Amino acid sequence: MGMIERYTKKARWFHWIYVAVFLELVLSGLVIFVPWSSLSIVGQWVRLIHRIGAILMVAIPLIYAVLKPKQAYYFVIEAFQWGVDDLEWLKAAPNYYFGGDPRSMPPQGYVNSGMKLYRLAILIGGALFVITGFIMAFLKDIVPPVVFQWSLFVHDFTFIVALCMFFLHVQLGVFHPRMDESLLSIIDGKVSNAYASSHHGKWYDRVRQEKNHADQIVD
Amino acid sequence: MQAVVTSNRGTYENPPDLSPDTWLTIRFSEGDEDDSTGWSFIRNSCMHCTDAACVAVCPSGALFHNEYGIVSYDKEKCIGCGYCAEFCPFNIPRLGVDPAINADRMNKCTMCTSPGLDRIAMGLEPACVKTCPTQALIFGDRDKLIAQGREVVSSLNSAHPNSQPQARLYGETELGGLHVLYVLADSPETYNLPPEPEFPAAATIQRDVFRPFAWIVWAAVAAGLALNVIVARARQIHSRESK
Repeated sequence: MGMIERYTKKARWFHWIYVAVFLELVLSGLVIFVPWSSLSIVGQWVRLIHRIGAILMVAIPLIYAVLKPKQAYYFVIEAFQWGVDDLEWLKAAPNYYFGGDPRSMPPQGYVNSGMKLYRLAILIGGALFVITGFIMAFLKDIVPPVVFQWSLFVHDFTFIVALCMFFLHVQLGVFHPRMDESLLSIIDGKVSNAYASSHHGKWYDRVRQEKNHADQIVD
Repeated sequence: MQAVVTSNRGTYENPPDLSPDTWLTIRFSEGDEDDSTGWSFIRNSCMHCTDAACVAVCPSGALFHNEYGIVSYDKEKCIGCGYCAEFCPFNIPRLGVDPAINADRMNKCTMCTSPGLDRIAMGLEPACVKTCPTQALIFGDRDKLIAQGREVVSSLNSAHPNSQPQARLYGETELGGLHVLYVLADSPETYNLPPEPEFPAAATIQRDVFRPFAWIVWAAVAAGLALNVIVARARQIHSRESK
């Protein structure tokens, strides 16, 4: 069974570092939602850790964008490229994800419509986190209290949604029977041809064509 | 000889503002030239609101209502987040580094109910009331104080029937009823008090929506996703077997 590269080594490192930073931010932020957590004496350390995490959360994608500008560009741009196939995909998705016939799904590119939605959530949620977090951490004494109050509201709301999205990501990547090669692909970078063909048909065909074309040139 | 040029700084109020170490100041404002009230003094400290935004947003339970409705404070539980300071409609809580633990802590008036130093529980008056030489501050049963305050207001207004605005009792109904009441001889603004203090909407959402329901939302989503996996597995196995 042939394999095809899906994630480069840099992309995989980026992913896992981001997971670590995300979890660090989740755990240090969750304190606010645990009323019985009298973490008094470590409170300011938790706050410091949260802020360091926030800086990494902003810095890491920027570093990645410098190292891999093309990938970073596509990561953003693909989230906004929607076509008829995407609507068909969204319609067919519930049945598909509940174990229905996979042939009902329209062929997908490198990212499917669900992944595009996820990327949109990351981009919008990330922007909201950064803007409101920046206001609360650095502009507290400058902005009127009401701005702080609604920044906290947006930050918390985004957090509640973000954790749900994280659960979805883990469910699809690790536990869902349809995505049985997903976890391995983000560890060693490859998926089988069969998986690539069934899950990302358009991308698979394009890669095959490019490969054939390259082979012909070599020949 | 030229005089030394100094920048015009400072204040007649001493200390100039509340701080983690200063829980009460007497603020004054000067009236207009034709204003017969002249200087207006007011006690500037925690109002001990019934609808206390600081209690609503405090994530660690450091701020709480005690049995008398006073907004008491357990410093041991404070995590120094400063939400209380940002949500207080009266701008009372002050954040600063506590030298004993070298960490950020909030501080504010507890009406002398701080754990371990609870004058009220010992049957004493708050220290501010005890030290006030002119008995401008009175401590006691709230209903009795309201009745007493109304009497003072009506006597002021009958003595000065033409003065505008009329004297009023501040704190009886504001924010569900404050546990500090003022007889104001002038408008609240004159004393730097908000005429209609409001409970911030974002604090309501924090207390009544986010904190209680976030866990329910997360649990529901996790359960839904788990169910999805179970159903998808079962159907895929079923479709494989039926082939």
